[in-house]
Amino acid sequence: MDEAKEFAFEEARDYTGAKLGMWLFILSELILFGGMFILYSAYRYKNPVDFHHASRELDVILGTLNTLILLTSSLTMAVSIAAIEKGRRTLSAILLVATMAFGFLFLVNKGIEWTEKIHHGIYPNSSILLQRPKGEVLFFGLYYVMTGLHGLHVLVGVCVLFGMLILVMKEKINQNRFVPLENSGLYWHLVDIIWIFLYPLFYLIT
Amino acid sequence: MKPEEEIRKKRYKTYVLVWITLVILTGMTFSVAGMELGSWTVLIALAIAGTKSGLVMNYFMHLQSERLLIFKVIIPLVMAVFLVFILLTFSDVAFRGGVK
Repeated sequence: MDEAKEFAFEEARDYTGAKLGMWLFILSELILFGGMFILYSAYRYKNPVDFHHASRELDVILGTLNTLILLTSSLTMAVSIAAIEKGRRTLSAILLVATMAFGFLFLVNKGIEWTEKIHHGIYPNSSILLQRPKGEVLFFGLYYVMTGLHGLHVLVGVCVLFGMLILVMKEKINQNRFVPLENSGLYWHLVDIIWIFLYPLFYLIT
Repeated sequence: MKPEEEIRKKRYKTYVLVWITLVILTGMTFSVAGMELGSWTVLIALAIAGTKSGLVMNYFMHLQSERLLIFKVIIPLVMAVFLVFILLTFSDVAFRGGVK
């Protein structure tokens, strides 16, 4: 009886629905960040020179490094899902840990960057920043809000992946049932995509 | 080797190839920013970023292997809405007179 019940439950799962729901959430996230990208473009259009000067002060090397870190974390994430599909639980778990480690490393770099800027008195509403041209104040405001919100997403992603790691270890996520892991992967790749746009728009203004 | 296993093996390889392409494109973004191309720089940077996210969506996010039509339609639809937002905002920002 129990077995039959479990079987029926197993059959009733709607994988396509789960994935479609995740995609809807991801697209709403794109619109959330999209609004900020529009705000950025409008202010940059009005203050091209100030944006250029302010951008020069950001650490391009650290930004590029963070781009490479996130891209690599996307690779380990994708391979982790392919591994669980193949039934290779240990490999999948190791790659999940690697993905989380890359995410953590990204946040550490971001932390170093922010600390350095704050140390120089560049943070929203600081008296030093407010003496600068208006465009630079806007640039750093957008920089803190957009990379901050993105960093928050990375942090949430790491927490979600930690939950997935536990489920993989407990074999709740396995070869036959891995949609939660796949959806977490979709979220992780979204975070990567947003950074792909943030990187040239903040670090590489000429 | 079972044919299914062969496809999986290929998937690892595909992912690594996509990753290499993404790294190369990042290098391109970085070097283009160093050139004096004026207003082209931002357009090229955005085009590269668009290509990169296309690769991530198609391969890492498996859009390519989704069979249902809705997955193919939903993203262009959202992008179209986003484009309308951009056009409306810029038709305001670009032609606004006094307020700056």
